[in-house]
Parts: sequence; structure tokens; C-alpha cells
Amino acid sequence: MHPVEMLFDALLLLSMVVLAWQGVHARNLFRAVVSFMMFGLLTAVAWVRLEAPDIALAEAALGAGLTGALLLATLGRLDQGGRATRLRTTFMRFSLPWMALGLAGTTLLLAVTLALPAPGLDEAVLRAMPAAGVDSPVTAVLLNFRAWDTLLEIAVMLLAVVALWSLGQDVLASTPRLPAPALPALVRLLFPLFLLSTFYLLWRGGHGPGGAFPAGALLAAGLVLALLAGARVPERMTGAPLRCALAAGLLAFLMVAVGVMADRGVFFAYPPQHAPILIAMVEIAAGLSIGVMLTALFLGGEPTDVEGGPS
Amino acid sequence: MSLPPGTLFLLAAALLFAIGAHGLVTCRHLLRKVLALNVATTGVFLLLVTLGRSGTAVDPVPHAMVLTGIVVALSTTAVALGLIVRLQRQRP
Amino acid sequence: MGLPSTATLVVILVTLPLATATVLFASGRQPRTLILAAALLLACAALALGVNVQLEGISVHPIGGWTAPLGIHWQVTPSGTVMLVVTALVGLAGAVYGTGYFLHRAGPEGRMARVFMPLWLFAWGGLNALFVAADLFNLYVALEVMTLASVALVALSARRLALQAAMRYLLAGLFGSMIYLLGVALLYGQYGVLDLDALAAVMDPQDPGSRAGAVALTVGLLAKAAIFPLHFWLPGAHGRAEPPVSAMLSGLVVAAAFYLLLRLWFGPLAGLLNFGVGAMLGTLGAGALLWGGVLALLQRRLKMMVAYSTVSQFGFAMLVFPLATAANRDAVVAGGTLLLANHALAKAALFLAAGTLVRASASDRIGNLVGFSGRARWAWLAVILASAALIGVPPTLGFSAKWLLLQAAIAEGAWVWLGVMLGGTLLTFAYLGRLLERALLDPAPEPTRPPLLTLALLLPALLLALLACVLGLWALDDDMPTQWIPGS
Repeated sequence: MHPVEMLFDALLLLSMVVLAWQGVHARNLFRAVVSFMMFGLLTAVAWVRLEAPDIALAEAALGAGLTGALLLATLGRLDQGGRATRLRTTFMRFSLPWMALGLAGTTLLLAVTLALPAPGLDEAVLRAMPAAGVDSPVTAVLLNFRAWDTLLEIAVMLLAVVALWSLGQDVLASTPRLPAPALPALVRLLFPLFLLSTFYLLWRGGHGPGGAFPAGALLAAGLVLALLAGARVPERMTGAPLRCALAAGLLAFLMVAVGVMADRGVFFAYPPQHAPILIAMVEIAAGLSIGVMLTALFLGGEPTDVEGGPS
Repeated sequence: MSLPPGTLFLLAAALLFAIGAHGLVTCRHLLRKVLALNVATTGVFLLLVTLGRSGTAVDPVPHAMVLTGIVVALSTTAVALGLIVRLQRQRP
Repeated sequence: MGLPSTATLVVILVTLPLATATVLFASGRQPRTLILAAALLLACAALALGVNVQLEGISVHPIGGWTAPLGIHWQVTPSGTVMLVVTALVGLAGAVYGTGYFLHRAGPEGRMARVFMPLWLFAWGGLNALFVAADLFNLYVALEVMTLASVALVALSARRLALQAAMRYLLAGLFGSMIYLLGVALLYGQYGVLDLDALAAVMDPQDPGSRAGAVALTVGLLAKAAIFPLHFWLPGAHGRAEPPVSAMLSGLVVAAAFYLLLRLWFGPLAGLLNFGVGAMLGTLGAGALLWGGVLALLQRRLKMMVAYSTVSQFGFAMLVFPLATAANRDAVVAGGTLLLANHALAKAALFLAAGTLVRASASDRIGNLVGFSGRARWAWLAVILASAALIGVPPTLGFSAKWLLLQAAIAEGAWVWLGVMLGGTLLTFAYLGRLLERALLDPAPEPTRPPLLTLALLLPALLLALLACVLGLWALDDDMPTQWIPGS
């Protein structure tokens, strides 16, 4: 490895570790959250360095962007110094022993991971690629070889929305409004671009980095930005239309998974001649649904009560 | 100077994991606990992907796992944050 | 007409709960007939699967037509099927109980009625996916579905203590998942496979990754299964949740994490299970048995007592690990699985009956419970039967399970573990006996206007408790254990 690259990596990782520490321990909660967001951005750079562009895209939009927005919005709603946000901890009083334990654990973990041979499944993936129906190996793993994982993961997301709505609170985004006067105009300008890039990523997912996750994340980022700029969920979209949009991804996934059983009787076994089109369909449904679900996660509550909330 | 490939990333992964686990146990504020959890999870993701490229080619399976993991982590974080807010607004 | 094929049944079991939950959420309505039809269909599918497994044995179903190291497959194992059947029984009972418990409420409480069933079905789907999974990462995602749904179910009860318990549970659950994922990463780094059978084939106890991975997987699952000393989240979460929620959480969700421990330690990690590891896990179990038992004895509130009893009972199940040897492995695993099944049925019955009694008495203090009279009599009957099964009175399922473990302990001359088992059983007898004695011999006066106890509030608990007792007769058959080998 080139020494300059090595130096870059060292600096990058060092800043990540420092920011991570600050993200947890900074005295001021706001600083902690901001450090954590910067940590997320640097993590995205680290993914690029690890030749994982798909993850970098998702991390930049989700890990740094959306999580950050969510954290800031939460911070805005928490009354600082409120005791309710602390858990009674019984046996964690002393930081030092835990620190020593942490260091020992780190050393041990490093020693073990350095000794791992890491054989991986790349050859198996390469062998199966001709029959996968897509050109991008990551998309092939996500939507074909391990599609069942992805289906369950969409279920986790929908479940998170149901769980948040079941807490029965008002909508998050109604509280924070960015005090930038030019923002709404800018967002109106940018929003079509976000939509365009979403579809570009969806289309591209078949060949290279991209696909449902980054596309959904980007769509959500655009929607959340619009919300932050003062946009509201239109009233005729709340209720049943919104719920159907949220459910659509998982339902489409389930229908395809069970529907393809008509061909060979095997769950999720795409018929080879139709695999590309079916995967594309699943990808679009999943991408759009992921976008809507992520936005719903940011909203934090069922937006039917939006008119009652303060703005 | 020749370190085995990925040493730095593995070291960072182990440190992030330790910082997160340590924070989860010692911090009292719930928001910090959630942040710590996310840091530790990032450490695990880093470990997965770094191990995935130690061979000759890039292994896409860990990439897919981490993509799934990031979305799962975000979903659970959103629920945790919702619960924290709900908890504070709850009058006993 | 023959039964549907095993593959079809598995597809029904894993997709129907998710599909129904999604449709209920999208429609925003809770049609009782649809819910009960889906629950009934799931129960029938699980029972049919049970019959198929008896005839066919272990079967493997590739998903997407991809074979093992690359693709994921489902594996229908006998012990997994037992858990699927028990899940279906408790799931159905909880759905029926839920229609009687939640749907009569209006106003702010109506929120519970609206989201209970979708969340319940998500949890059910996660459980089913877990019991047929045979892939480390797939198990992770299934665990997340299960955990997130459980947390949301605990948080349904909007009281402050319940929300706090839900938060604690969420953090503990996520901590467990994170450590579990670390284990997956370590094993993947060592062997480059995620499939459990492929892993079992290449596993070498000498490799650094295998040991570290096993430790991480185990710690993560111990946190999720609330094994002492990582049990701190359980009593609050199970004791403060609404009764049907507690029934599923105590009976199934904790058991699922424990089932996974069994699946891993008697599957891919079997080579690592030596005397030291067994003794360590057994010691944790003994600690849980004692700690949970004593605290259950000290509780004044009914549901908290039942919750601490769960900590104690899973301590008992942990004794499977020190008792297992190469020779008695099948019998011990069968005993462990039966123990989980017995606990699921009896504990769910106990929580459901407890919910009914608390409602009838308008108080959850053991001292204020109504006595053996009126319709509460049926709830008390369920409590008595479930207690018998938990203690392990012959011929209940609990007796068959404990008998298998007891025989293993005697055959090996493991007197320490034998003593722990007897002590645990005595503690169980003590705290359940205290409940029955306090409430039946010295009951509180009837409330002036007792609430109506409908059949939906009485029957599910009674039937589950009866099953825990009656199934023991079937499990007494001597060649049962040999049919219950996990993995392959």
C-alpha cells in the first residue's frame, strides 16, 4: 500500500475514533449529536476506502444524514436535564474498571481478527452471477441469493413504523424548522433532482453500485429536507394512502416471493427468463417503499394529527 | 513498514466496538446509550467489510449484510428515540 | 387427501403472519374474523408440519433455489417444529384472549386494540422465521423482527413503568443483537460461511475465530434469553406489559433465544462444548434458578412473581449444557426442548389467567385477589394446572422434561446438578404454593361489581394449561427422545 494512502487511512480512522468517543461522551448533548453526525460522514468515506460504494451511499444518506436529522429533532423535543431520560444504573458507577475491560477486549478482538483467514464467498457469488438476473454482485446477493433476508429487513422497517405509531405521539418534524429563509426555495429547486437521482440509482442498481437501498435513502433524504424546509404532509395523503404506500414494499416483496412459486414451486426462485424484470420490479417497489418508510420514521408519529400540532 | 492489509481498519473496528460497548454500560443518559450502541454497531460493520476484502477479490456478501444491518440499525434507533421522547412526556 | 407438503407449510408459516400484519396495518381496521381465521390457519399449518416431521424427519428447503454456502435455506428440525407448534398454540390463544381483552375498550385505550394484532403477528412471523432458519445472518434479522415487535408490545401499556421497562428491554435486546452480529462477523471471517450445516462441517475448536465467535454469539443470546446475570430487563418488561403480551414474551420470545442457544451449541458449536463451558453455563443457570426463585418468593404483585419465575425456569433449562455428553445428547436435547415447550404453554396460561384474575380483582397484589368462586374459578383452575406443569408433577409435560434431565444427571453421577434441580423444583413449589395458599385459603372479598369475565378471557388459559398437562402423557413414551435430534 502506498504510504500516502496509509497516512490518509490512519488519519481518517483516528478522527473516526475521536469523534465516536465525543459522540458518546461530549459533555453537551448537542455536541455529542453533531460529533456523531460527523462520525457518520467519515464512516461513509471509510466505506469508499474499503471499496464499498453502495454502503458509502447508504451510510451518507442514512447513517449521517437521516440519523442525524432524527437525533437533532429528538434533541429539540427533549427537555434538557429532564430526569426521565436517565435510567437508574445499579452496577455501572465506576468508569475505570470498564475502561480497562474495554481496552483488554479491544486488544483481544484485534488479535483474533488479525488471525482470521477471511475466505469469503466471493467465488461462489462469481460462479452464480450468470444466473442471477442482474450484473451487480451486491444487488444479486440482496435481491436474489439472500432475498429472504432483505424481505425480513423490509419487515423490520415497517415494524419500526408500526411501533413508532403505536407510541401515539405527535409528528416530530412539526417542531424543528430550520431558520434559513432561502431554504424553502432551494428545496423546491432541489427536490426534482432528488427524485431524478432516486430513479437513476434504482435503474443503475442492476449494473453497478446503487439499487434499492441507496435510492430509497436518497428519496427519504429529499423528503426529509422538504419537511425541514416547512413542507407538510398533504392532508389527502395521510390515512389510508400513506399506510398503503408504507405497506406496499413488503406486500410486493411477499407477492413476488410467493408468486414465483408458480414456476418451480420454490419460494423466491425467480424463473430464469423473467428474473431481470422481476428483480427490477422488486427493486423499484422496495426502493420507493424504503424512501416512504424512512420518511415516516423521521416523522415519528402518525401524521393524521398534524393539524393539531404546533408548527 | 508492512502491516497486514486492513490492520488499521481492524484496529479502528475494535476500538469503535469497545467505545460503544463501554458507553452503553457507563452512560446514564438514554440518548447517549443509543449513540453508543450505534458506534459499536458501526464497529461490527467495519469488521465485517474489512474481513470481506482480505481475500483476492471483494466479497459482496458482507456488503449486503452491512446494507441490511444499516437499515435495521436505523429502524431500531428511530424506535428507541421515539420511546425516549415518549418516556419524557409521560407524566406518572 | 394428504397433507400439504412441508415446503408449502413452511412458506405459509413464515409469510402469512407478515402478510396479515401488513394488510391489517394498511387497512387500519381489525376485522375479528380475518384475524382469527389467520391465527387458526397458522395453528393448523403448524400442526400439519408436526405430523409431516414425524413421518419425514429433518428436511431442508432451499430458498430461491440456491444451495447452501451462497443461498439461504430453511431447515425443519424436530425441535424447531415443537417450537413452531407451541408458538402456534400460544399465538392462537393470545389472539383469542386479545379479542376479549382489548376490543372492548374505547378512547385512548382503543390505540392498544388497533396495534396489538399487527404487532402480535409481526412477532409471530419473526418467531416462525427463526425456528426454520438455518443461517447465522438470517437468524439475526429474524431476531430483530422478534425483538422490535416485543418491545413495541411491552410499550403498548402506556404506563410509565411499562415504558421504562420497554426502553430497558430495547437496549438489552439491541446489545444482544450487536454482540450476536459480532459473533457472526468473527465466524464469517474465519470460515467464510453463514449456513449452520456448512459451518458445522468446517468448525475446528482450535481456531481463534471459532472460540471468539462462539463466545460472542452466546453472550448475545444470553442477553436475549435473560439468563442470569443478564436478566435485569426481564421482570419489568414481562411484569408490566399487558397480560397477553406477557404470555407471548415469557412463553415464546425468551424461549426462542434459548432455543437458538440449543441449536447452536448442539449444532455447529458442538465441538466447543467441553466440561468447562458446560460447567460455566450450568453455573449461570444455577444462579438464575436461585436468584429468580427467591425473588419470585418475595414478590407481592402477581405478574411480577410470574415474571421472576421465568428467570428461574430458564435457569433450569441452562442445566442442559453441563449434563450433555456424547452418549446422552439426544435425550438431553429432547429434555431441553420439552422444557421449553412446557414452559411456553404453562407460563402463557399462567400470565393469561393472571390477567383475568387481576381484572376480576381490580388489583394485582397477591393479597387482594378474588378467591375460588364465580367465573374466576376457571382462571384459578388454569393457574393450578399450569403450576403443576411448571413444578413438574407427573404426568405433565414438565415432568417428562425434568425426568429426562434427571435421568441424565443420575447416569453421570452429576450430584451437584441433581441437587440444583431439586432445589429449583422446591423453590418453584414454594412460590407457586404461596400464591395458591394465599389466594385460595385467604381470599380478598369480592368486588361489589365484578367485571364480566367472558369466555375469551377464560378459555385460552385453561386450554393451554390443560395441554401442558395432557401432552405429558404422550411424551412419556420411551422412544420419544430418539426422534428429537436437532440439526443433522
